[in-house]
Amino acid sequence: MNNNSKKHIIELENVHVSLKNNVETVNILKGINLKILKDNSISVIGESGAGKSTLAMTIAGLELISKGKIFFKGVAIHDLEEDELANYRSKNVGIIFQSFNLLPSMTALENVNLPNQISGVLIDDKKGIELLKSVGLKKRLNHYPHQLSGGEQQRVAIARSLISSPEIIIADEPTGNLDKRNSEEVMKLIFKLQSDFASTLILVTHDETIAKQCNKIIKLDNGLIVKDE
Amino acid sequence: MNNFKFWKLSIKELRGSFNEFKIVITSIFLGIFIISAVGSLSENLKFEINNQRSQLLGGSFELSTTYQKFPQKIKKWLEVNGKVAEVIELRTMLSSNKNLINKRRLVELKAVDENWPLIGSVSITPNQTLNQTINNTNVNGVLIDKNVKNQLSLDLGDTLDLGDSRIVIKGIIKKEPDRMFSFATFGSRVLLSIKTLQKTNLIVPGSLVKYKIKFIPNKNNINLSYLNKLVEGTNITVRGVNSSTNNFNNFIERTSLFISMVGLITLLISGIGISNGVKGYIIKKIKNIAILKSLGAKNMQVFLIYLFQVMVIFLLSIIPALLAGISIPFILSPIISSELFDTFQATIFLKPIIISFSFGLIVCLLFTIIPISSTYEIKPIQLIRHAAHNIHNESSKKIKIFIFFLICFLSYLIVIMTNDIKLSAYIFTSIFVSFMILSTLTNIYFYILKKINFKIGSLSEFVRKSIISKNSFSKTIVVSFSIGLSLLISLNIIEESLDNKISKTINQEAPNHFLIDIQPNQIDTINKLASSSKDILFLNSQPMLRGRITEINDIKVENLKVNKDVEWVLKRDRAFSWTNERPKNSKLISGEWWKKDYNGPLLVSMGDKIAKGMNVKIGDNIRFNILGRNFEATIYNTREIIWENMNINFIFVLSESSLTNAPHTWIASTTSENKEINNNFVEKVVTTFSNISSISIEESYKAIKSILNLLIIIINSIALITLLSGVIVLTGILDVSKKDKLYEIAIFKILGASPKKISLLWLYEYLIIGLMASLISLLIGCLVSFILLYFVFNVDFYVNYLTLIILSFIVPIVITVFSFFKMIKLVLSKPLQVLRAHNH
Ligand SMILES: Nc1ncnc2c1ncn2[C@@H]1O[C@H](COP(=O)(O)OP(=O)(O)OP(=O)(O)O)[C@@H](O)[C@H]1O
Ligand SMILES: [Mg+2]
Repeated sequence: MNNNSKKHIIELENVHVSLKNNVETVNILKGINLKILKDNSISVIGESGAGKSTLAMTIAGLELISKGKIFFKGVAIHDLEEDELANYRSKNVGIIFQSFNLLPSMTALENVNLPNQISGVLIDDKKGIELLKSVGLKKRLNHYPHQLSGGEQQRVAIARSLISSPEIIIADEPTGNLDKRNSEEVMKLIFKLQSDFASTLILVTHDETIAKQCNKIIKLDNGLIVKDE
Repeated sequence: MNNFKFWKLSIKELRGSFNEFKIVITSIFLGIFIISAVGSLSENLKFEINNQRSQLLGGSFELSTTYQKFPQKIKKWLEVNGKVAEVIELRTMLSSNKNLINKRRLVELKAVDENWPLIGSVSITPNQTLNQTINNTNVNGVLIDKNVKNQLSLDLGDTLDLGDSRIVIKGIIKKEPDRMFSFATFGSRVLLSIKTLQKTNLIVPGSLVKYKIKFIPNKNNINLSYLNKLVEGTNITVRGVNSSTNNFNNFIERTSLFISMVGLITLLISGIGISNGVKGYIIKKIKNIAILKSLGAKNMQVFLIYLFQVMVIFLLSIIPALLAGISIPFILSPIISSELFDTFQATIFLKPIIISFSFGLIVCLLFTIIPISSTYEIKPIQLIRHAAHNIHNESSKKIKIFIFFLICFLSYLIVIMTNDIKLSAYIFTSIFVSFMILSTLTNIYFYILKKINFKIGSLSEFVRKSIISKNSFSKTIVVSFSIGLSLLISLNIIEESLDNKISKTINQEAPNHFLIDIQPNQIDTINKLASSSKDILFLNSQPMLRGRITEINDIKVENLKVNKDVEWVLKRDRAFSWTNERPKNSKLISGEWWKKDYNGPLLVSMGDKIAKGMNVKIGDNIRFNILGRNFEATIYNTREIIWENMNINFIFVLSESSLTNAPHTWIASTTSENKEINNNFVEKVVTTFSNISSISIEESYKAIKSILNLLIIIINSIALITLLSGVIVLTGILDVSKKDKLYEIAIFKILGASPKKISLLWLYEYLIIGLMASLISLLIGCLVSFILLYFVFNVDFYVNYLTLIILSFIVPIVITVFSFFKMIKLVLSKPLQVLRAHNH
């Protein structure tokens, strides 16, 4: 750990991820070194199958690494237990998936409140309502996911990722399932909220124009960083 | 986890999923309903019996004596000190010549005085009082019960000969307050007054008559020990309300225990349904669980969320089951009060509710913990990666310990329910062993299926692959149907073996008739009659007297510790016989027979097993009371007694002594190859001597058989229900695997298979699964019944192959037909629609 660790919220040192299936071991990440500054936005681009999602999920603590080190604010994440990782996620990370991943049996508001309910800090609906207002869903608080359009569902997911005031937001192709108009709106919203909430954004995307709006672009190819600008 | 309110989250997550729990709910409901209904009903009956003890006894006390009337002194004393009703009971032949058809029946005469009954009342059809019927002694009125009416085809107003007088049937007894319960007492009943009985002259010296006095003292200080002192030195026995060993209570306890056990087994079997239902549910929730985990939920939190849901479902299904269970006594109360107790008022008892609730909870936890703990295996990364929907059941150590405790608690509950540690251990090990055999056999089958190969592309190969595939539930189907079927098969084999044994005995070894109540001066005539018969007619006759054992080796019977299975010998009157000649066909186990001209102190020959059970041996002394006199005899030898061959067997045979001169009767059995000759002989005897009664073994057998048949029907229908609970499991599995099957069909169709071919494939698959279940159950059923027959019943194993074949076809047919109707809709669905739906 060096002196820069205060400024770098995330540090990856020689991170490998390999998966075993029935016959062989597949190396997905093959030695990633990466430092992410606090309050910065960084986009991850690359071909399909390059390992973008895997990298994002590694930082989110969802993917277990087979070699290397990951630090969050100087604290080692790589040797945390499953439950400690869950704890890390619920306090520090908000995740936005390509396929929304809302719970179908809960309303928009309940979905947004979910992370705080899990971590046991939910007191009232105030913050959830506030967040849903800020993503423009004031009138959809008590709608169920199946009553919402794709764009609206993704906006609920964005609100949900912010409820615990995380320091990192990880978005894995958040507009992948949306049309152009909705995509633009959702992206605008993500960037606005990122600066409003002063958090670090890690954005996985195919879209170069979106990627360029970030402070930094990383290009992955076959499990390695080929461009870091 | 400081403020984590998992129940709130749990309930929210449960929304809209109730449909998934249909099987679980039905399974829990069924098992709990049976246990709680039986428990409530038996508690109610026991409570009522306790309340009505004095009515059932007929007074606060019952004094009884055999052969001899009550000494006047004691009778007087009782009359002065309380209310007294006298009852005399004896057996006799009742014959009817109605429509010129001669019918005879052994009946129980119950003669009562004007004071009877002291408690409760008799109800008669048509509605009359005792004064209008039996106490109207001018016409010798009697009341009969339904059995007599049917057996002798009698009607109101018919007249019959009874001893020396003619009696008139005045009514049918609907309910008799101090008769325990119709099915607990042997024989058919004729009720008359003591005065009428005296006119018949049926009571002669030596005839087996029971005299009873029902007594309600008018002073509180007259208690059981007081009365016992009063009758000291006589052969009178006194029973109090509390000391009366209540046969019916025992009967209820045994029966309800048996049905509860069946309920418990049903619950354990439906546990498989519960487990499957929850397993299927968790499979459907994999995505939700991954989402929760991605949002920071810990494994334990997820576990609690789903456990709580199962508990909610458990409560939702157990509450109606308990309500239905406790309402059974209320629903049955009209029948109970018309058949058993006038004043029956159903109540709610807490004990059966608590017991069935605990059982339900334990079984539910036991069978859902493993599928719920499989949520530990679900990883949030599955949200971006299509991991195979395969849940491994690697439960953690904590959960294994929890399961161990659940099993301990379950055994504890079984001990509470059965009140018998040995029995519980027996039940538990046999359930455990059967499950082990079942799972081993199933595994062997699947192992074989995995190893063999058919031609690639053939129908058989496809079915084989489908059955052994990882995602298929075929093993569960096999196991859950095998349990019920094994039960059914073993019950049927046991039943048929017993039946076979009985009818063999009846046809070969047992005598045809018994003649009872023969006077000593009649036996010579009867012997002559028998030997004058042209055909071979074997007559075996022995004298008998009833008496009670009072002391063994100077220890009073009340203080004696004997094995449970011989307690009955000491409890009531026993029949004694005597002879100096060794009885024919008797096999001595120890000692030897005394000399023919023996004339010394009294000796006794005892049944060997009974002697062992009472811990006595040759040289020990037994004191008994016959006709109010005490005798002491020394055990001289022990004999083997084979009860099953139904020959005349006396536990105690004495050497000849002064007892020979006491008034007594003889009992004889007749055996003949030729039924007609035998019947003629018996007919001749009973018409010549009106005091002699005959009992046809064949008819007794029929009577026993009809009771046995009823029991068999009950047991078999319960086993059948158990078998049908397999259908619950099947429904669940078909529901869970519907999507996969649908997908499979769609692919088949696109590949060009016709609906007919697809259906055929399926039928084939389920037929194979059903046949596997049959084969396993056949093996287990034969094994279990063989062990039980050999070690418990001591009866030869006998199998009726036809029944066995019919039983083996039930399961394959049920499974195939059922799944066919459940799946036919799928076969007819449009392939492209399905594929499209599947990808979303
Ligand atoms: N369960 C698995 N076992 C083995 N390899 C896997 C598994 N899941 C994913 N992979 C492989 O890992 C690699 C990286 O996957 P990842 O999802 O990170 O790619 P990506 O860059 O996000 O692609 P896309 O743009 O298509 O989302 C891919 O080549 C994929 O084939
Ligand atoms: Mg991806």
